[in-house]
Amino acid sequence: MDKQLELLQGTLDMLILKAVSLGPLHGYGVLLRIQQVSKDRLEILQGSLYPALYRLELQGWIASEWGESENKRKAKYYRLTTAGKRRLQTETENWNSMADVIAGILGTKPEEV
Amino acid sequence: MTLWSSLRSWLSATLRRSRMESEMDAELRFHMETFAEDLVRGGVSREEAARRARMEFGGIERVKEEGREARGVNFLDQMAQDFHCGQRVLRKSPSFAIVAVLTLALGIGATTAIFSVVDAVLLRPLAMEEPSRIMFLQEHWQDIFPGLSVGNFVDLRSQGTSFSELCASNNASFNLETGGLPERVDGEIATANYFATFGIAPLAGRVFTPEEDKPGQAAVVVISERLWRTQLHADLSIVGRPIRINGLPTTVVGIMPKNFDPLLGNSELWIPERFTQAQLADHDNHYLNVMGRLKAGVREAQAQSELDVLAKRLQQEYPIDNQDRAFRLQPITAALLGDQRLGLRLMLAAVGFLLLIACANIANLQLARSRVRQKEIAMRAALGASPNRIVRQLLAENVVLGLAGGVVGVFLAYWAVAWIIAHGPAEMPRLDQSRVDGSTLAFACVTALLSSFLFGLAPALRSASTRLNEIFKSSSGISGGSRDSLRSLLVVGEVALALILMAGAGLLIRSALLVSHVDPGFDTSNVMVGRVGLPDPGYHDPSVARHTFERMIVAAAALPGVESVAVVSRAPLAGGGSSNGLLAEGKAFDASNLVNSELQIVSPGYLSTARVPLKAGRDFTAQDTREGTLVTVVNETLARTMWPGANPIGKRFACCEAGPKGRMDPVWHEVVGVVADVRAWGLDRQVQPEFYIPIAQMPPSAWDWIGRTMDLVVRTKGGQIPVRELQSSVASIAPAVPIYRLSTMKQKISGTLERSHFDTFLLAIFAATALLLSSVGIYGVLSYMVAQRTRDIGIRMALGASQRQIVLDVLGFGVRLAAIGLAIGLTVALVATRVLSSMLFGIRPTDVITFTAVSVLLLGVALVASYLPARRATRVDPVVALRYD
Repeated sequence: MDKQLELLQGTLDMLILKAVSLGPLHGYGVLLRIQQVSKDRLEILQGSLYPALYRLELQGWIASEWGESENKRKAKYYRLTTAGKRRLQTETENWNSMADVIAGILGTKPEEV
Repeated sequence: MTLWSSLRSWLSATLRRSRMESEMDAELRFHMETFAEDLVRGGVSREEAARRARMEFGGIERVKEEGREARGVNFLDQMAQDFHCGQRVLRKSPSFAIVAVLTLALGIGATTAIFSVVDAVLLRPLAMEEPSRIMFLQEHWQDIFPGLSVGNFVDLRSQGTSFSELCASNNASFNLETGGLPERVDGEIATANYFATFGIAPLAGRVFTPEEDKPGQAAVVVISERLWRTQLHADLSIVGRPIRINGLPTTVVGIMPKNFDPLLGNSELWIPERFTQAQLADHDNHYLNVMGRLKAGVREAQAQSELDVLAKRLQQEYPIDNQDRAFRLQPITAALLGDQRLGLRLMLAAVGFLLLIACANIANLQLARSRVRQKEIAMRAALGASPNRIVRQLLAENVVLGLAGGVVGVFLAYWAVAWIIAHGPAEMPRLDQSRVDGSTLAFACVTALLSSFLFGLAPALRSASTRLNEIFKSSSGISGGSRDSLRSLLVVGEVALALILMAGAGLLIRSALLVSHVDPGFDTSNVMVGRVGLPDPGYHDPSVARHTFERMIVAAAALPGVESVAVVSRAPLAGGGSSNGLLAEGKAFDASNLVNSELQIVSPGYLSTARVPLKAGRDFTAQDTREGTLVTVVNETLARTMWPGANPIGKRFACCEAGPKGRMDPVWHEVVGVVADVRAWGLDRQVQPEFYIPIAQMPPSAWDWIGRTMDLVVRTKGGQIPVRELQSSVASIAPAVPIYRLSTMKQKISGTLERSHFDTFLLAIFAATALLLSSVGIYGVLSYMVAQRTRDIGIRMALGASQRQIVLDVLGFGVRLAAIGLAIGLTVALVATRVLSSMLFGIRPTDVITFTAVSVLLLGVALVASYLPARRATRVDPVVALRYD
């Protein structure tokens, strides 16, 4: 396994929004999906997931309801709201442009200055 | 309503919170268990899986806390948190908390107790319909406000238009027999519309009809609920049955509801007035209480101006009886409770001061603590608490203190109210109704909250505004100047308030001491007084009444241990009495020449029995009868008023009755003796002109004025007072006639001083507490100052300052604070004590001796309070102090 990357500050929210945009998930499911998609390369403190989920819910970007899990237990499922969809879109755009700018800066060669 | 809605929102928030908590629990548990199951499926042992699940999840409590925060905690939750925190902080410094709570409890308890008395006596509406529309009428003549004459009353009732009902009553007491021993009860003789005027219907039965209020009708009575309950076993079948009043069977027609006592005179029964034709025409005897209910839309001023017009008309119609006579109108509440206002408001102000001093003390303690707690608060601020949040948190701490103080205070008030009811002056109406109830509790609660803001806000604001870097930089050393000046200011304020209270209490104490040295004008030791009222039916004939009293004197004088016995129409300090206008011989028959004087009808032995010193002339003898010359003995004040500078012996004045030739025919009384002034209305009251006439010479109609009631005055040889024997010897001569209000002269004197002693006592307690609290304040500030300046003091000592200099410095600071407070307090007190004028005897409200005494006392206490910290300052070891950092 490659060395795990520490999550950049402020990116967890975005990852959660993305994860639930693919279909309703419970908290543990969010963790699994991020790990699965990132191929375990991101280090996520399991506990920190929940405060983030509550924060997003309070802001109205995700909504929750109780449902039944794969192992036939009661679990709380989160799904993306319309507002959340818009939010995910702007965050993604922001992130991409930011990444471009940073990559551009870091890729600068001496003769280009 | 707002209380309910905020309670509801708090309740729903609490419910929501607990649901949220359990959901969060379930969610987190699901996460860990599912994770563990996955690990088990991957081949890990069950225990190992559970352990790893817990570990990788991280601290569950922290996650929960962050979760709660992320969810957005509302204002109420934060407040609950603040309170919780406040409680914890206080529990960590128990000595501070206990001192603060007790100080506050003292302030709140005293304030609440006095408030519940004020509420019961003054604030609660009188038990009648629309008390604000009920007026109390009196005549106004010269400087006195007598009752109305029957003639004037009926004229006002027939000619006036301002009142929907105008009723009259006069106070009387009755011999009541309900089975056991005869008893004397107070009541009123009232017109039929008396009950309708107050708008109160009977509890059972009916009130009397206008028909029953006419002469010659069968005897009827309306009784109070209390009499019905205590004497008649609360038996409803008593309505329609007779009880014996003044020896006559009288039918009970109705029972009035509880607390019906519109004139607050402890009336137990009411019988109809039944004015005779002669009474209806009488404009000369002024004794009726008159009450009227204003018609809708009529204002007090309008009614007063109508009365002024009617008074003019009556003056012209009956020039002899009504010359210069006007009417005074007052709302009944003012008329009945006006006397209580000053004293009670004074007490309320005093406890308010006490509460302020208590608050200042706690604020001072908090300021001192906030200095010590700076680091704790700075840490909180550094961790991200906003100044707003810090202020809220500190305030919450103070509110916790305030409420705790309030709870203890209410218990204190509970006890204090019981004490006040038991020891308070009997004459204060409705005092027995004082209790700690809803309005009192609300008052205590508001007081507690207000005071916690009062003493908490300044320290809290100050703490929150401190800049972080300053605190971390300076670890100890020289204290900030502005902080100390606020604390000093508080102490100065406390001292000033304490001085005002002390000045007030000092004046009352000095006045009480002066009163206790007043010569009552007769020998009060070994004298017993009891009142005997002969009922009209059996003792109507004046000679029968007189012989009955004379036989009583003989019987009582024969009792063992009795030196002498006499009767007097109103013994000194027994209350009541009747006044007469006297006309000196040689003066024109005109109302302006009349000298108003109190009449005492006495048996010949009275002046010697009471030992009223004879200043000139002679005492009465058994030979002074109506067959001989009518004689009188006057007091020195009357002699001085009537014949200034002349020898009064042999002079004559007309009074009390008319000669055979009609109303303008004077009946002369010759002065045969002059006696010393007797303080008949209380040691602290002005002496009135007074004259005595012998019982054998009294005008026959005077028996009606005095209600056939006389005080039996018994001088004993100093041994046991024969109460039982006295009662039975009275009963053996007049069966079914009780002797009542039986007590020693000394008891009667202390009875009249009860009210002023009570006020003095309470104010003295408040002042002493204020002094104590403010000296604690001075002590606190100085101790703190010494502790803060340990290093300064150390340096100064190292540089050669002597211990004496250090002591003088600290003392000087304390005394300076006290002196400034003293100066401010004196200035205010000199003006404020004016409100005491009417309660003072023999001194002015700016009495120099009192003011000097309280100032010296205060400075002395301040000096002691400063000395303790000063001595501690001298114990500072320069070496230790300099190494302090």
